[in-house]
Amino acid sequence: MRHALTIATRELASFFLGPTAYLVLLGFQVVAFLNFWELVESLARPQVEFSSLRDPMSAYVSGSTPFWFAILVAVPVLTMRLLAEENRSGTIETLATLPVTEAEIVVGKWLAGLAMYLALLVPFAIYLPFLYHQGRYPFDVGPLVSLGIGLTTMGMAFTAIGLFFSSLTRNQVVAAVWTFTALFVLVVMTLLVSYFPAARGWTGWADAARYVAVIHQIHECALGRLDLRVVVAHLSVCGFALYATAALLAARRGC
Amino acid sequence: MIEVSRLSKTYGALKALDDVSFAMGRGEVAGLLGPNGAGKTTTMRILTTFLAPSSGRAVLDGRDVIDRPLEVRRKVGYLPENVPLYPETRVGEFLRFRAKLKDVPRGRRRRAIAEAVSRCGLGDVEDRTIGRLSRGFRQRVGLADAVLADPPILILDEPTAGMDPIQVREVRALIRELGERHTVLLSTHVLSEVEAVCSRAVIIARGRIVLDGRLEDFQAAETIRVEARGPGEAIRRALAGLPGVAAARLEGERDGVAALDLTPAAAADPREAVSARLAADGWPLRTLERRRPSLEERFVAAVNRVDLDAMSREAG
Repeated sequence: MRHALTIATRELASFFLGPTAYLVLLGFQVVAFLNFWELVESLARPQVEFSSLRDPMSAYVSGSTPFWFAILVAVPVLTMRLLAEENRSGTIETLATLPVTEAEIVVGKWLAGLAMYLALLVPFAIYLPFLYHQGRYPFDVGPLVSLGIGLTTMGMAFTAIGLFFSSLTRNQVVAAVWTFTALFVLVVMTLLVSYFPAARGWTGWADAARYVAVIHQIHECALGRLDLRVVVAHLSVCGFALYATAALLAARRGC
Repeated sequence: MIEVSRLSKTYGALKALDDVSFAMGRGEVAGLLGPNGAGKTTTMRILTTFLAPSSGRAVLDGRDVIDRPLEVRRKVGYLPENVPLYPETRVGEFLRFRAKLKDVPRGRRRRAIAEAVSRCGLGDVEDRTIGRLSRGFRQRVGLADAVLADPPILILDEPTAGMDPIQVREVRALIRELGERHTVLLSTHVLSEVEAVCSRAVIIARGRIVLDGRLEDFQAAETIRVEARGPGEAIRRALAGLPGVAAARLEGERDGVAALDLTPAAAADPREAVSARLAADGWPLRTLERRRPSLEERFVAAVNRVDLDAMSREAG
Protein backbone atom coordinates (compact mmCIF):
# COMPACT_ATOMS: atom_id res chain seq x y z
CA MET A 1 0.00 0.00 0.00
CA ARG A 2 3.03 2.33 0.08
CA HIS A 3 2.42 3.14 -3.59
CA ALA A 4 -1.07 4.38 -2.80
CA LEU A 5 0.33 7.50 -1.10
CA THR A 6 2.57 8.25 -4.11
CA ILE A 7 -0.41 7.97 -6.43
CA ALA A 8 -2.57 10.09 -4.12
CA THR A 9 0.10 12.81 -3.92
CA ARG A 10 0.42 13.07 -7.69
CA GLU A 11 -3.35 13.11 -8.04
CA LEU A 12 -3.69 15.92 -5.49
CA ALA A 13 -0.97 17.92 -7.25
CA SER A 14 -2.76 17.58 -10.57
CA PHE A 15 -6.02 18.81 -8.96
CA PHE A 16 -4.22 22.05 -8.25
CA LEU A 17 -2.55 22.23 -11.67
CA GLY A 18 -6.00 22.72 -13.19
CA PRO A 19 -8.79 25.14 -12.32
CA THR A 20 -11.16 22.55 -10.81
CA ALA A 21 -9.81 22.48 -7.29
CA TYR A 22 -9.75 26.26 -6.97
CA LEU A 23 -13.28 26.71 -8.32
CA VAL A 24 -14.76 24.06 -6.05
CA LEU A 25 -12.92 25.38 -2.99
CA LEU A 26 -14.07 28.90 -3.80
CA GLY A 27 -17.66 27.70 -4.18
CA PHE A 28 -17.59 26.05 -0.76
CA GLN A 29 -15.96 29.09 0.78
CA VAL A 30 -18.85 31.23 -0.50
CA VAL A 31 -21.44 28.78 0.84
CA ALA A 32 -19.69 28.65 4.22
CA PHE A 33 -19.50 32.45 4.35
CA LEU A 34 -23.20 32.92 3.60
CA ASN A 35 -24.22 30.20 6.04
CA PHE A 36 -22.08 31.69 8.77
CA TRP A 37 -23.62 35.09 8.12
CA GLU A 38 -27.06 33.57 8.55
CA LEU A 39 -25.94 31.69 11.65
CA VAL A 40 -24.79 34.92 13.32
CA GLU A 41 -28.02 36.67 12.31
CA SER A 42 -30.21 33.90 13.70
CA LEU A 43 -28.20 33.76 16.93
CA ALA A 44 -28.81 37.50 17.37
CA ARG A 45 -32.55 36.92 17.17
CA PRO A 46 -34.20 35.86 20.44
CA GLN A 47 -35.21 32.19 20.51
CA VAL A 48 -38.96 31.90 20.84
CA GLU A 49 -39.30 28.17 21.06
CA PHE A 50 -36.93 25.25 21.06
CA SER A 51 -37.00 22.96 18.06
CA SER A 52 -34.28 20.76 16.70
CA LEU A 53 -35.24 21.86 13.18
CA ARG A 54 -34.59 25.47 14.05
CA ASP A 55 -31.40 24.78 15.93
CA PRO A 56 -29.04 27.39 14.48
CA MET A 57 -25.98 25.15 14.76
CA SER A 58 -27.48 22.33 12.74
CA ALA A 59 -28.85 24.76 10.17
CA TYR A 60 -25.29 26.03 9.70
CA VAL A 61 -24.07 22.91 7.89
CA SER A 62 -26.31 19.91 7.59
CA GLY A 63 -29.64 21.72 7.51
CA SER A 64 -28.72 24.14 4.78
CA THR A 65 -29.87 23.61 1.20
CA PRO A 66 -26.83 25.38 -0.36
CA PHE A 67 -24.52 22.99 1.49
CA TRP A 68 -26.20 19.89 0.08
CA PHE A 69 -26.45 21.42 -3.35
CA ALA A 70 -22.72 22.18 -3.27
CA ILE A 71 -21.90 18.63 -2.12
CA LEU A 72 -23.99 17.11 -4.92
CA VAL A 73 -22.09 19.18 -7.47
CA ALA A 74 -18.62 19.09 -5.91
CA VAL A 75 -18.20 15.36 -5.31
CA PRO A 76 -18.87 14.37 -8.95
CA VAL A 77 -16.62 17.19 -10.15
CA LEU A 78 -13.78 16.03 -7.90
CA THR A 79 -14.07 12.32 -8.63
CA MET A 80 -14.96 12.32 -12.33
CA ARG A 81 -11.37 12.79 -13.45
CA LEU A 82 -9.70 10.21 -11.25
CA LEU A 83 -9.85 7.15 -13.51
CA ALA A 84 -11.84 8.35 -16.53
CA GLU A 85 -8.98 10.64 -17.55
CA GLU A 86 -6.49 7.77 -17.27
CA ASN A 87 -8.79 5.66 -19.45
CA ARG A 88 -9.14 8.45 -22.02
CA SER A 89 -5.49 9.38 -22.35
CA GLY A 90 -4.25 5.79 -22.12
CA THR A 91 -2.05 6.49 -19.10
CA ILE A 92 -3.90 3.63 -17.39
CA GLU A 93 -1.66 1.41 -19.52
CA THR A 94 1.48 2.91 -18.05
CA LEU A 95 0.00 2.70 -14.55
CA ALA A 96 -1.26 -0.88 -14.86
CA THR A 97 2.09 -2.15 -16.12
CA LEU A 98 3.98 -0.89 -13.06
CA PRO A 99 4.74 -3.17 -10.12
CA VAL A 100 1.64 -1.77 -8.42
CA THR A 101 -1.52 -3.70 -7.54
CA GLU A 102 -4.99 -2.67 -8.64
CA ALA A 103 -5.91 -2.12 -5.00
CA GLU A 104 -3.04 0.37 -4.60
CA ILE A 105 -4.16 2.31 -7.66
CA VAL A 106 -7.77 2.43 -6.44
CA VAL A 107 -6.91 3.37 -2.86
CA GLY A 108 -4.44 6.03 -4.03
CA LYS A 109 -7.02 7.65 -6.28
CA TRP A 110 -9.69 7.43 -3.60
CA LEU A 111 -7.42 8.99 -0.97
CA ALA A 112 -6.82 11.95 -3.27
CA GLY A 113 -10.57 12.40 -3.79
CA LEU A 114 -11.22 12.07 -0.06
CA ALA A 115 -8.52 14.61 0.84
CA MET A 116 -10.09 17.11 -1.56
CA TYR A 117 -13.54 16.44 -0.08
CA LEU A 118 -12.27 17.00 3.46
CA ALA A 119 -10.59 20.21 2.33
CA LEU A 120 -14.04 21.42 1.25
CA LEU A 121 -15.31 21.14 4.83
CA VAL A 122 -12.48 23.21 6.29
CA PRO A 123 -14.12 26.60 5.48
CA PHE A 124 -17.10 25.62 7.64
CA ALA A 125 -14.85 24.71 10.53
CA ILE A 126 -12.57 27.75 10.53
CA TYR A 127 -15.39 30.16 11.45
CA LEU A 128 -16.40 28.29 14.58
CA PRO A 129 -13.48 29.20 16.87
CA PHE A 130 -14.26 32.86 16.19
CA LEU A 131 -17.86 32.30 17.19
CA TYR A 132 -16.77 30.56 20.38
CA HIS A 133 -14.05 32.97 21.51
CA GLN A 134 -14.85 36.29 19.82
CA GLY A 135 -18.63 35.91 19.68
CA ARG A 136 -18.70 34.33 23.14
CA TYR A 137 -21.32 31.85 22.07
CA PRO A 138 -20.61 28.72 24.10
CA PHE A 139 -22.01 26.10 21.71
CA ASP A 140 -21.83 22.42 22.46
CA VAL A 141 -18.80 20.77 20.84
CA GLY A 142 -20.12 17.19 21.07
CA PRO A 143 -22.72 17.40 18.31
CA LEU A 144 -20.14 19.10 16.07
CA VAL A 145 -17.72 16.21 16.52
CA SER A 146 -20.49 13.76 15.77
CA LEU A 147 -21.40 15.81 12.68
CA GLY A 148 -17.76 15.76 11.61
CA ILE A 149 -17.61 11.98 11.90
CA GLY A 150 -20.85 11.61 9.97
CA LEU A 151 -19.74 13.94 7.20
CA THR A 152 -16.37 12.19 6.95
CA THR A 153 -17.79 8.69 6.60
CA MET A 154 -20.38 10.03 4.18
CA GLY A 155 -17.57 11.60 2.14
CA MET A 156 -15.66 8.31 2.15
CA ALA A 157 -18.68 6.57 0.67
CA PHE A 158 -19.44 9.36 -1.81
CA THR A 159 -15.90 9.61 -3.19
CA ALA A 160 -15.76 5.81 -3.51
CA ILE A 161 -19.01 5.89 -5.50
CA GLY A 162 -17.60 8.65 -7.70
CA LEU A 163 -14.39 6.70 -8.26
CA PHE A 164 -16.39 3.63 -9.23
CA PHE A 165 -18.31 5.50 -11.92
CA SER A 166 -15.10 7.17 -13.06
CA SER A 167 -13.54 3.76 -13.70
CA LEU A 168 -16.44 2.69 -15.92
CA THR A 169 -15.92 5.25 -18.64
CA ARG A 170 -13.35 7.27 -20.52
CA ASN A 171 -15.62 10.31 -20.56
CA GLN A 172 -15.45 12.54 -17.49
CA VAL A 173 -18.88 14.04 -18.11
CA VAL A 174 -20.51 10.62 -18.20
CA ALA A 175 -18.77 9.73 -14.93
CA ALA A 176 -19.96 13.00 -13.33
CA VAL A 177 -23.57 12.49 -14.45
CA TRP A 178 -23.69 8.94 -13.10
CA THR A 179 -22.15 10.01 -9.81
CA PHE A 180 -24.51 12.96 -9.48
CA THR A 181 -27.49 10.70 -10.15
CA ALA A 182 -26.38 8.13 -7.60
CA LEU A 183 -25.70 10.74 -4.93
CA PHE A 184 -28.94 12.57 -5.73
CA VAL A 185 -30.88 9.36 -5.15
CA LEU A 186 -29.06 8.79 -1.86
CA VAL A 187 -29.43 12.34 -0.61
CA VAL A 188 -32.76 13.60 -1.91
CA MET A 189 -34.84 10.94 -3.55
CA THR A 190 -34.91 8.59 -0.60
CA LEU A 191 -36.22 11.46 1.48
CA LEU A 192 -38.99 12.17 -1.03
CA VAL A 193 -39.84 8.50 -1.43
CA SER A 194 -40.25 8.09 2.30
CA TYR A 195 -43.25 10.46 2.24
CA PHE A 196 -45.27 8.57 -0.35
CA PRO A 197 -45.34 5.15 1.36
CA ALA A 198 -46.05 6.89 4.62
CA ALA A 199 -49.13 8.55 3.12
CA ARG A 200 -50.38 5.16 1.91
CA GLY A 201 -49.71 3.43 5.16
CA TRP A 202 -46.63 1.41 4.07
CA THR A 203 -44.76 2.34 7.19
CA GLY A 204 -42.11 -0.37 6.80
CA TRP A 205 -40.97 0.98 3.44
CA ALA A 206 -41.10 4.52 4.75
CA ASP A 207 -38.80 3.63 7.64
CA ALA A 208 -36.41 1.84 5.33
CA ALA A 209 -36.24 4.80 2.94
CA ARG A 210 -35.74 7.25 5.79
CA TYR A 211 -32.95 5.12 7.16
CA VAL A 212 -31.14 5.23 3.79
CA ALA A 213 -31.74 8.96 3.28
CA VAL A 214 -28.34 10.56 3.77
CA ILE A 215 -29.76 13.97 4.74
CA HIS A 216 -31.66 12.30 7.53
CA GLN A 217 -28.58 10.40 8.74
CA ILE A 218 -26.44 13.52 8.79
CA HIS A 219 -29.14 15.53 10.52
CA GLU A 220 -29.20 12.96 13.29
CA CYS A 221 -25.41 13.26 13.57
CA ALA A 222 -25.71 17.05 13.76
CA LEU A 223 -28.06 16.70 16.70
CA GLY A 224 -25.43 14.66 18.48
CA ARG A 225 -27.07 11.29 17.97
CA LEU A 226 -24.19 9.44 16.38
CA ASP A 227 -25.66 6.17 15.19
CA LEU A 228 -22.96 3.55 14.67
CA ARG A 229 -25.23 1.74 12.22
CA VAL A 230 -25.00 4.78 9.98
CA VAL A 231 -21.22 4.85 10.21
CA VAL A 232 -21.06 1.15 9.39
CA ALA A 233 -23.43 1.65 6.44
CA HIS A 234 -21.23 4.42 5.04
CA LEU A 235 -18.07 2.38 5.48
CA SER A 236 -19.70 -0.67 3.86
CA VAL A 237 -20.75 1.32 0.81
CA CYS A 238 -17.24 2.75 0.62
CA GLY A 239 -15.57 -0.65 0.94
CA PHE A 240 -17.87 -2.24 -1.59
CA ALA A 241 -17.40 0.54 -4.15
CA LEU A 242 -13.60 0.40 -3.79
CA TYR A 243 -13.62 -3.37 -4.09
CA ALA A 244 -15.83 -3.20 -7.19
CA THR A 245 -13.51 -0.61 -8.77
CA ALA A 246 -10.41 -2.74 -8.16
CA ALA A 247 -12.21 -5.81 -9.49
CA LEU A 248 -13.19 -3.87 -12.62
CA LEU A 249 -9.59 -2.78 -13.20
CA ALA A 250 -8.43 -6.38 -12.86
CA ALA A 251 -11.21 -7.60 -15.15
CA ARG A 252 -10.05 -5.16 -17.83
CA ARG A 253 -7.04 -7.46 -18.29
CA GLY A 254 -9.40 -10.20 -19.35
CA CYS A 255 -8.18 -12.88 -16.96
CA MET B 1 14.59 -13.93 -21.44
CA ILE B 2 11.27 -13.97 -23.26
CA GLU B 3 9.53 -17.23 -24.01
CA VAL B 4 6.18 -17.17 -25.72
CA SER B 5 4.47 -20.42 -26.52
CA ARG B 6 1.19 -20.95 -28.36
CA LEU B 7 -0.15 -17.57 -27.33
CA SER B 8 -3.68 -16.72 -28.47
CA LYS B 9 -5.93 -13.78 -27.75
CA THR B 10 -9.50 -13.39 -28.86
CA TYR B 11 -11.65 -10.29 -28.54
CA GLY B 12 -15.15 -11.71 -28.88
CA ALA B 13 -15.25 -13.24 -32.35
CA LEU B 14 -12.02 -11.56 -33.45
CA LYS B 15 -8.87 -13.60 -33.21
CA ALA B 16 -6.15 -11.05 -32.56
CA LEU B 17 -3.39 -13.57 -31.88
CA ASP B 18 -3.39 -17.12 -33.12
CA ASP B 19 -0.91 -19.63 -31.76
CA VAL B 20 2.11 -17.33 -31.57
CA SER B 21 5.40 -18.78 -30.34
CA PHE B 22 8.86 -17.29 -30.19
CA ALA B 23 11.78 -16.98 -27.81
CA MET B 24 14.37 -14.30 -27.22
CA GLY B 25 17.71 -14.61 -25.49
CA ARG B 26 19.53 -12.17 -23.26
CA GLY B 27 20.86 -9.10 -25.04
CA GLU B 28 18.93 -9.73 -28.21
CA VAL B 29 17.29 -6.84 -30.06
CA ALA B 30 14.28 -8.05 -32.02
CA GLY B 31 11.90 -6.12 -34.24
CA LEU B 32 8.26 -7.11 -34.27
CA LEU B 33 6.98 -6.24 -37.73
CA GLY B 34 3.58 -6.38 -39.25
CA PRO B 35 0.81 -4.46 -40.97
CA ASN B 36 -1.66 -2.47 -38.88
CA GLY B 37 -3.92 -4.72 -36.85
CA ALA B 38 -1.59 -7.69 -37.18
CA GLY B 39 -1.35 -8.20 -33.42
CA LYS B 40 1.87 -6.38 -32.53
CA THR B 41 0.38 -4.21 -29.80
CA THR B 42 -1.69 -7.10 -28.45
CA THR B 43 1.47 -9.21 -28.16
CA MET B 44 3.27 -6.43 -26.31
CA ARG B 45 0.32 -5.80 -24.01
CA ILE B 46 0.26 -9.46 -23.06
CA LEU B 47 4.01 -9.47 -22.39
CA THR B 48 3.69 -6.39 -20.18
CA THR B 49 0.74 -7.96 -18.30
CA PHE B 50 -1.67 -5.24 -19.40
CA LEU B 51 -3.79 -7.91 -21.10
CA ALA B 52 -4.13 -11.56 -20.22
CA PRO B 53 -3.83 -14.13 -23.02
CA SER B 54 -6.86 -16.23 -23.92
CA SER B 55 -4.61 -19.27 -24.06
CA GLY B 56 -0.93 -20.08 -24.18
CA ARG B 57 1.96 -19.04 -21.99
CA ALA B 58 4.32 -16.10 -21.85
CA VAL B 59 7.32 -16.27 -19.54
CA LEU B 60 9.67 -13.32 -19.00
CA ASP B 61 12.92 -13.89 -17.14
CA GLY B 62 11.46 -17.10 -15.73
CA ARG B 63 8.23 -15.54 -14.52
CA ASP B 64 4.82 -16.24 -15.99
CA VAL B 65 2.70 -13.21 -16.92
CA ILE B 66 -0.43 -14.72 -15.39
CA ASP B 67 0.95 -16.29 -12.24
CA ARG B 68 3.41 -13.58 -11.20
CA PRO B 69 2.42 -10.36 -12.98
CA LEU B 70 3.99 -8.03 -10.40
CA GLU B 71 7.41 -9.66 -10.75
CA VAL B 72 7.15 -9.52 -14.55
CA ARG B 73 6.32 -5.80 -14.34
CA ARG B 74 9.45 -5.24 -12.26
CA LYS B 75 11.56 -6.81 -15.03
CA VAL B 76 10.04 -4.91 -17.92
CA GLY B 77 10.36 -1.32 -19.09
CA TYR B 78 7.44 -0.52 -21.36
CA LEU B 79 6.87 2.27 -23.85
CA PRO B 80 3.24 1.99 -24.96
CA GLU B 81 2.01 3.04 -28.38
CA ASN B 82 1.38 6.82 -28.65
CA VAL B 83 3.26 7.39 -25.37
CA PRO B 84 0.49 8.26 -22.91
CA LEU B 85 1.81 10.77 -20.33
CA TYR B 86 0.30 13.23 -17.86
CA PRO B 87 0.30 16.52 -19.80
CA GLU B 88 0.09 18.74 -16.71
CA THR B 89 3.21 17.40 -14.98
CA ARG B 90 6.79 18.49 -15.52
CA VAL B 91 9.29 16.04 -16.97
CA GLY B 92 11.34 15.80 -13.77
CA GLU B 93 8.29 15.41 -11.54
CA PHE B 94 6.92 12.73 -13.82
CA LEU B 95 10.14 10.72 -13.70
CA ARG B 96 10.33 11.07 -9.90
CA PHE B 97 6.74 9.81 -9.63
CA ARG B 98 7.48 6.85 -11.90
CA ALA B 99 10.74 6.03 -10.11
CA LYS B 100 8.88 5.84 -6.78
CA LEU B 101 6.22 3.54 -8.20
CA LYS B 102 8.91 1.40 -9.80
CA ASP B 103 10.49 0.92 -6.37
CA VAL B 104 13.82 2.48 -7.28
CA PRO B 105 15.40 2.74 -3.80
CA ARG B 106 15.39 6.26 -2.36
CA GLY B 107 19.17 6.52 -2.36
CA ARG B 108 19.52 5.57 -6.00
CA ARG B 109 16.51 7.49 -7.28
CA ARG B 110 18.23 10.78 -8.00
CA ARG B 111 21.04 9.09 -9.89
CA ALA B 112 18.69 6.81 -11.84
CA ILE B 113 16.65 9.81 -12.96
CA ALA B 114 19.73 11.82 -13.91
CA GLU B 115 21.03 8.89 -15.92
CA ALA B 116 17.74 8.36 -17.77
CA VAL B 117 17.52 12.10 -18.47
CA SER B 118 21.03 12.28 -19.91
CA ARG B 119 20.68 9.04 -21.90
CA CYS B 120 17.50 10.27 -23.58
CA GLY B 121 18.74 13.82 -24.08
CA LEU B 122 16.14 15.45 -21.83
CA GLY B 123 18.50 17.75 -19.93
CA ASP B 124 17.09 20.95 -21.43
CA VAL B 125 13.43 20.13 -20.88
CA GLU B 126 13.51 18.64 -17.38
CA ASP B 127 11.57 21.60 -15.96
CA ARG B 128 9.10 21.88 -18.82
CA THR B 129 5.49 20.75 -18.74
CA ILE B 130 5.02 17.54 -20.71
CA GLY B 131 1.94 18.86 -22.51
CA ARG B 132 4.03 21.60 -24.12
CA LEU B 133 6.72 19.30 -25.47
CA SER B 134 6.96 18.28 -29.11
CA ARG B 135 6.05 14.77 -30.13
CA GLY B 136 9.68 13.75 -30.39
CA PHE B 137 10.47 14.93 -26.86
CA ARG B 138 7.39 13.22 -25.44
CA GLN B 139 8.59 10.02 -27.06
CA ARG B 140 11.93 10.49 -25.33
CA VAL B 141 10.23 11.08 -21.99
CA GLY B 142 8.49 7.74 -22.51
CA LEU B 143 11.82 6.09 -23.30
CA ALA B 144 13.42 7.64 -20.23
CA ASP B 145 10.56 6.22 -18.17
CA ALA B 146 11.08 2.76 -19.70
CA VAL B 147 14.81 2.64 -18.85
CA LEU B 148 14.37 4.35 -15.45
CA ALA B 149 14.58 1.30 -13.22
CA ASP B 150 17.18 -0.33 -15.49
CA PRO B 151 15.03 -3.39 -16.21
CA PRO B 152 16.55 -6.35 -18.06
CA ILE B 153 13.78 -6.35 -20.67
CA LEU B 154 12.56 -3.39 -22.71
CA ILE B 155 9.36 -3.53 -24.72
CA LEU B 156 8.96 -0.53 -27.01
CA ASP B 157 5.83 -0.08 -29.11
CA GLU B 158 6.77 2.07 -32.10
CA PRO B 159 9.57 3.99 -30.39
CA THR B 160 10.32 6.31 -33.33
CA ALA B 161 6.77 7.13 -34.46
CA GLY B 162 6.27 10.84 -35.08
CA MET B 163 9.92 11.82 -34.88
CA ASP B 164 11.91 13.79 -37.39
CA PRO B 165 14.82 12.07 -39.17
CA ILE B 166 17.45 13.45 -36.81
CA GLN B 167 15.55 12.35 -33.71
CA VAL B 168 14.99 8.95 -35.34
CA ARG B 169 18.75 8.57 -35.77
CA GLU B 170 19.36 9.51 -32.13
CA VAL B 171 16.74 7.13 -30.82
CA ARG B 172 18.04 4.30 -32.98
CA ALA B 173 21.51 4.89 -31.64
CA LEU B 174 20.06 4.85 -28.13
CA ILE B 175 18.25 1.56 -28.77
CA ARG B 176 21.43 0.00 -30.17
CA GLU B 177 23.23 1.11 -27.03
CA LEU B 178 20.44 -0.26 -24.83
CA GLY B 179 20.66 -3.56 -26.70
CA GLU B 180 24.11 -4.10 -25.26
CA ARG B 181 22.72 -4.45 -21.74
CA HIS B 182 19.02 -5.15 -22.18
CA THR B 183 16.83 -7.51 -24.14
CA VAL B 184 14.82 -5.26 -26.43
CA LEU B 185 11.61 -6.08 -28.28
CA LEU B 186 10.40 -3.21 -30.44
CA SER B 187 7.58 -2.92 -32.91
CA THR B 188 7.59 -0.74 -35.98
CA HIS B 189 6.19 -0.19 -39.44
CA VAL B 190 9.52 1.06 -40.69
CA LEU B 191 11.48 -1.83 -42.14
CA SER B 192 14.72 0.09 -42.43
CA GLU B 193 14.52 0.62 -38.66
CA VAL B 194 14.70 -3.13 -38.10
CA GLU B 195 17.67 -3.33 -40.44
CA ALA B 196 19.32 -0.46 -38.59
CA VAL B 197 18.93 -1.64 -35.00
CA CYS B 198 17.73 -5.23 -34.74
CA SER B 199 19.58 -8.50 -34.93
CA ARG B 200 16.36 -10.38 -35.40
CA ALA B 201 13.03 -9.85 -37.14
CA VAL B 202 9.70 -11.42 -36.23
CA ILE B 203 7.05 -10.71 -38.86
CA ILE B 204 3.48 -11.09 -37.76
CA ALA B 205 0.35 -10.87 -39.90
CA ARG B 206 -3.28 -11.62 -39.08
CA GLY B 207 -2.24 -12.71 -35.60
CA ARG B 208 0.28 -15.31 -36.77
CA ILE B 209 4.04 -15.35 -37.06
CA VAL B 210 4.88 -15.61 -40.72
CA LEU B 211 8.63 -15.14 -40.60
CA ASP B 212 11.10 -15.27 -37.76
CA GLY B 213 14.82 -15.21 -38.17
CA ARG B 214 18.13 -13.48 -37.67
CA LEU B 215 18.80 -10.57 -39.95
CA GLU B 216 22.18 -12.04 -40.89
CA ASP B 217 20.47 -15.17 -42.16
CA PHE B 218 18.15 -13.07 -44.27
CA GLN B 219 21.12 -11.26 -45.70
CA ALA B 220 23.04 -14.47 -46.27
CA ALA B 221 20.33 -15.59 -48.66
CA GLU B 222 21.93 -13.64 -51.49
CA THR B 223 22.10 -14.50 -55.17
CA ILE B 224 24.35 -13.36 -57.99
CA ARG B 225 22.69 -12.27 -61.20
CA VAL B 226 24.75 -12.95 -64.34
CA GLU B 227 23.85 -11.89 -67.86
CA ALA B 228 26.17 -12.92 -70.72
CA ARG B 229 25.90 -13.28 -74.51
CA GLY B 230 26.16 -16.95 -75.46
CA PRO B 231 24.47 -20.37 -75.23
CA GLY B 232 22.51 -20.47 -71.96
CA GLU B 233 22.89 -24.12 -71.04
CA ALA B 234 26.64 -24.17 -71.78
CA ILE B 235 27.18 -21.09 -69.64
CA ARG B 236 25.15 -22.61 -66.82
CA ARG B 237 27.22 -25.79 -66.83
CA ALA B 238 30.48 -23.87 -66.92
CA LEU B 239 29.52 -21.58 -64.03
CA ALA B 240 28.02 -24.36 -61.90
CA GLY B 241 31.40 -26.04 -61.90
CA LEU B 242 33.22 -23.04 -60.45
CA PRO B 243 34.47 -23.20 -56.86
CA GLY B 244 32.35 -20.98 -54.61
CA VAL B 245 29.18 -21.57 -56.63
CA ALA B 246 26.69 -23.84 -54.92
CA ALA B 247 24.06 -23.81 -57.67
CA ALA B 248 23.35 -22.11 -60.96
CA ARG B 249 19.93 -21.66 -62.51
CA LEU B 250 19.08 -20.45 -66.00
CA GLU B 251 16.43 -17.81 -65.71
CA GLY B 252 15.90 -17.20 -69.43
CA GLU B 253 17.44 -16.35 -72.79
CA ARG B 254 16.50 -13.35 -74.91
CA ASP B 255 18.18 -12.07 -78.09
CA GLY B 256 21.10 -14.40 -77.50
CA VAL B 257 21.67 -13.13 -73.96
CA ALA B 258 21.39 -15.67 -71.16
CA ALA B 259 20.33 -14.62 -67.66
CA LEU B 260 21.38 -16.80 -64.74
CA ASP B 261 21.01 -16.75 -60.96
CA LEU B 262 23.90 -18.21 -58.99
CA THR B 263 23.70 -19.23 -55.37
CA PRO B 264 27.13 -18.74 -53.82
CA ALA B 265 28.52 -21.27 -51.38
CA ALA B 266 28.62 -20.12 -47.76
CA ALA B 267 30.69 -16.95 -47.26
CA ALA B 268 32.08 -17.13 -50.79
CA ASP B 269 32.07 -14.34 -53.34
CA PRO B 270 32.61 -16.00 -56.78
CA ARG B 271 32.11 -12.85 -58.82
CA GLU B 272 35.69 -12.52 -59.96
CA ALA B 273 35.92 -16.20 -60.85
CA VAL B 274 32.70 -15.88 -62.86
CA SER B 275 33.96 -12.94 -64.87
CA ALA B 276 37.32 -14.64 -65.53
CA ARG B 277 35.63 -17.85 -66.68
CA LEU B 278 33.21 -16.05 -69.03
CA ALA B 279 36.08 -14.03 -70.51
CA ALA B 280 38.13 -17.21 -70.99
CA ASP B 281 35.28 -18.87 -72.89
CA GLY B 282 34.61 -15.75 -74.99
CA TRP B 283 31.11 -15.06 -73.67
CA PRO B 284 30.81 -11.26 -73.25
CA LEU B 285 29.58 -10.34 -69.77
CA ARG B 286 26.76 -7.77 -69.50
CA THR B 287 25.69 -7.92 -65.88
CA LEU B 288 27.33 -9.23 -62.73
CA GLU B 289 25.47 -8.19 -59.63
CA ARG B 290 25.13 -9.38 -56.06
CA ARG B 291 21.46 -9.30 -54.98
CA ARG B 292 19.99 -9.46 -51.51
CA PRO B 293 16.29 -9.87 -51.11
CA SER B 294 15.48 -6.84 -49.01
CA LEU B 295 13.58 -7.25 -45.77
CA GLU B 296 10.81 -5.36 -47.49
CA GLU B 297 10.51 -7.95 -50.27
CA ARG B 298 10.41 -10.73 -47.72
CA PHE B 299 7.90 -8.84 -45.62
CA VAL B 300 5.57 -8.21 -48.54
CA ALA B 301 5.89 -11.80 -49.77
CA ALA B 302 5.20 -13.26 -46.32
CA VAL B 303 2.25 -10.99 -45.61
CA ASN B 304 0.75 -11.62 -49.05
CA ARG B 305 1.06 -15.35 -48.54
CA VAL B 306 -0.93 -15.11 -45.32
CA ASP B 307 -3.54 -12.90 -46.96
CA LEU B 308 -3.95 -15.38 -49.83
CA ASP B 309 -4.27 -18.25 -47.37
CA ALA B 310 -6.92 -16.37 -45.45
CA MET B 311 -8.82 -15.55 -48.62
CA SER B 312 -8.78 -19.13 -49.85
CA ARG B 313 -9.93 -20.30 -46.41
CA GLU B 314 -12.81 -17.85 -46.51
CA ALA B 315 -13.72 -18.91 -50.06
CA GLY B 316 -13.54 -22.63 -49.34
